[in-house]
Amino acid sequence: MPTPFEPLQDAALSHFLMTGAVLFALGLAGFLCRRNLIIMFLSTELMFQGVAISLVAFSRLHGNDTGQTFVIFVLTIAAAEAALALGLVVLLFRRKRTLDCEAWAAMKG
Amino acid sequence: MEYALYIASVIGAIALTMMMPRRGHTPRTLGALLGAATLGGLWLFLAPVATTEGAAMTYYYVFSGLAIAGAAGVVTHPRPIYSALWFIIVVLASAGLFLVMEAEFMAVAMVIIYGGAILVTYVFVIMLATQSGDPRQAEDAPTYDRVAREPVPAVAAGFLLLAVLLTVAFDTDRIKPNPNTRGLTADQIINGSKTLGLERILSDRPDARLAKRIGADHTIRMPLHNVERVGLDLFRGHPLGLELAGVILLVALIGAVVFARTPIDPGDE
Repeated sequence: MPTPFEPLQDAALSHFLMTGAVLFALGLAGFLCRRNLIIMFLSTELMFQGVAISLVAFSRLHGNDTGQTFVIFVLTIAAAEAALALGLVVLLFRRKRTLDCEAWAAMKG
Repeated sequence: MEYALYIASVIGAIALTMMMPRRGHTPRTLGALLGAATLGGLWLFLAPVATTEGAAMTYYYVFSGLAIAGAAGVVTHPRPIYSALWFIIVVLASAGLFLVMEAEFMAVAMVIIYGGAILVTYVFVIMLATQSGDPRQAEDAPTYDRVAREPVPAVAAGFLLLAVLLTVAFDTDRIKPNPNTRGLTADQIINGSKTLGLERILSDRPDARLAKRIGADHTIRMPLHNVERVGLDLFRGHPLGLELAGVILLVALIGAVVFARTPIDPGDE
């Protein structure tokens, strides 16, 4: 019987990790420098995608499915975060009629 | 090899900075070309390292290129609705990457949850919370969409992190499959769980039923599918996490309802 789960080779794993890292870095840069609240949250979703790719790659490398189970939990948190964050964004927009995050600079304290 | 990764990170950072929206002329096309050339050059440089059999690597290059291009589009496009559309490209491409890694369940879940649920929510919010204006006229966009805040330090921070991550990711001496973390094989799962009725469930799988119908030997164990393995790991290994995820979703649902019903006086500060 063929083994159901061939481990990924190290070099190929590095490539998948690179894609995950690039997505994470782009998401981080976007989160730090865009001023639109919605795009900032889209950037966090990009970071989630990068982490998910890395988790699945490691799951494949070690032949252990727990990595993919973790992605399910990441998706759960992403869904909860999207619901709450977007609810807040709509609330903030109704209050000041702008999505500019610098309109809320007073909350820096 | 580290130097190639560092150089690629620096040029990629310059390309992303060029693509960031700014006052006056934004050299988006030039930045995109520079970024694509950097990525292609890095892949060409690393190609001798990649030893996986051909087809998988080809699909990797296609999907990965799409994902990275989509990500650059998300963070640099001045109109939020186009950012959301670019994000759909990222989701579909990373679902393709999951298929290359034989994680079929995650690929489908990613498309359904991200593409189907989360992105629709984003598009609704963008429609609710965007000032009217002709979407084809970039000048109609509000200033906070047209001008990025401090793009140079932000991109520098992101790509500094990227350079460090790449150095670790390509240090193949350090990243090795660890035999101690290897998951259970199909036989181990089945033998260890006869008392739980898993045997009966597995003999009721479509391929086992088909084998029974055509009179073939249905006791031969087919390898577990990806969906079956993830399901077993989720429900047998992480039952508490599953319950907590349900609680988190319920709390988020109630919280979203509370936010949506909060009365706001528009001029109220």
